[in-house]
Order: sequence, then structure tokens, then C-alpha cells
Amino acid sequence: MKQTLNWQIASVTNIRPETAKVKSFTLRLPAWMRHRAGQHYDLRLTAEDGYQAQRSYSIASEPEREGEVDITVERIDDGEVSTYMHDVLLPGDRIEMRGPIGGYFVWEATMTEPLLLIAGGSGVVPLMSMVRHRAAAGAKNPAALLYSARTFEDIIYYGEWEGLRNSNSGLQIFHTLTRSQPVGWKGYARRIDQAMLKEVAGPLGGSVQAYICAPTLLVEAAANALVKIGVRSDQIRTERFGPTGG
Amino acid sequence: MEEITDINRELMLDANATAGLLYEIFGVEMTASPTECANCGNEGELGGLLAFTQGPGIVLRCSACEGVVLRIVQTPEAIYLDARGAVYLRLAR
Repeated sequence: MKQTLNWQIASVTNIRPETAKVKSFTLRLPAWMRHRAGQHYDLRLTAEDGYQAQRSYSIASEPEREGEVDITVERIDDGEVSTYMHDVLLPGDRIEMRGPIGGYFVWEATMTEPLLLIAGGSGVVPLMSMVRHRAAAGAKNPAALLYSARTFEDIIYYGEWEGLRNSNSGLQIFHTLTRSQPVGWKGYARRIDQAMLKEVAGPLGGSVQAYICAPTLLVEAAANALVKIGVRSDQIRTERFGPTGG
Repeated sequence: MEEITDINRELMLDANATAGLLYEIFGVEMTASPTECANCGNEGELGGLLAFTQGPGIVLRCSACEGVVLRIVQTPEAIYLDARGAVYLRLAR
């Protein structure tokens, strides 16, 4: 696909908190292009002395929304870019972006295989773009999301997951909380493992297409466990993010 | 989960994370393009290579044998690309 990848000046039109450490930003793009679910934008900040810091952030919104994208950003305490986004940026501010970028970790509603989405922490963001795209496109393929977070308060988009759970969309939603669980918690309460993946992925059958986005160690563990339960490695796409950066 | 103590391993990403830089170098989206590891012959999409991005340069390794496929170093004046670990790269027209 031919396109030019130029930096453009986006305007922040909305900022809303998702959790204590995570915010979503709506960015209006003068040269908006339809993205593919799973793609990202590069963001660039330039200091007065010319110093630049650049990060990649996954798109959270569905491609069907025109003219703007949502990105969801976790605040990394010693990060250069995420701290600016969280602490300084206000609606009306402008920021340099280029994208959409990446053709590897993408899912299109025209792909009809059963879909397995596995997220750890803020790795859920590109998978949310896929889920929103799936809903907007009216796709009916069987799908399951397994989302690992530390605590209940760390679950990003909780309300939207509950809405999707009750929407008859054919998407099964599974949560696991690895650090602490609220009283009466009905989801999983441990790290993602082979037995859990068998329960979540088993009903999707052998032709499943899997997407894993999580910190590196969780990606490794989940991808290895999937292979052990019979998913071929070419059915698995991964997007790792490291513990540093931000 | 197996504990891995190698810091490089913990910071490892997928080459998908370098999609913007690859686009800058080649002028086309590269991460969905196939490539072949010169060390072991494994073929796969470039975005699936293992990416080590925390050093002075970026190193992309084969996901099968972990041989070095691409090395990229950026200076203020130029970008250096060492692609001898790839049998080929495919640039879509």
C-alpha cells in the first residue's frame, strides 16, 4: 500500500481518564487516513533546545471513525513522553504525529477465522481497536478476549467490556487479576497459563488467529503455552512492549 | 511463568515497533513484507523479527534462530543499514 508517512500536527480534542494511571486522548488529524486495527502512530515532542523524544502509541479507536483517532496511554513515572501527555497536555493543544504505521499486527473484519485476543496491562489498547472494528463492521466470527491486569482498578475500558459482554456480539470476555481481586470476583486470579488458555481458546477450534499484546515476558509465556495446546506459531501474532520507555 | 533475568531479553520488542523507522528508510510499509534469515533460512514477515532497540543501534534478529538479520544505526547526518543477515528484503511497489 503506497502512502506517504509525513509528520502532521494533530489537535487534542478530548482527554479522559481510564484508570488512575491511564488516559485516552482523542486527536484530530488534518491528514487523517483510515487505519487498520492494531496499527500505531508515532508521537514526537520537541523541546525548545531542539531535543526530541519519540514514542509509538497504539490506536484504540475503530477505523470507521473518520478524521480522528483515540490513543490510550499509560503514565510511566520516569517516562519522557507519557508524563507530558498525562500532566501537561490539555484539550486544544497540538502535537506532532505520523502514521498510521505497521502492517504486521493488524486484524481486519474481512478475516473470518475465529479470533483470540490476549492482553496484558496496557497491551489491551490495539486489541480494543480490533474489538471496536469488529463491532462496527458487524463481524460475526467467534472471538474471545483474555485480559490480564494486576488489580480490578487497573482494568482499562471496564465499562465497555461489560457492555460488550451483554451485547450478543459473539465476543467472550475473560479477565484475570494477578495481584489482588475484589470480594466476590468471578474471573481468573492468576497469571495466564496453559490451562487457562485451553479453557479460553479451546471453544474457538483449530483455525484460530491469535493476537497477543503485553509486556515481553507475558507474550513469551502466552505464545509458548498456545503452541503447547496446538496453535501453530504462524497463527500467532505478537506485539511486545518493554518495561521502559514511556 | 519462567523467570528470565537477561535484561536484553526483557526489553526485547517485535520489529513491528520499528515500523516508523523502517518506513523512513525504505519509503514503504515494511513490517508485513517477507524476509529470509541468511543464517537459518527461516522466512517470515519482517514485523515478526525480534527487535532490540535500547542500544546505540537497533538490532533485528530472526525469531527462529536469533541470528542478526538487520542492524540500523542513526546519526544526525545519516542512517547506516547492515542487512547482510537477510537473504532478501521485499519492498512493495
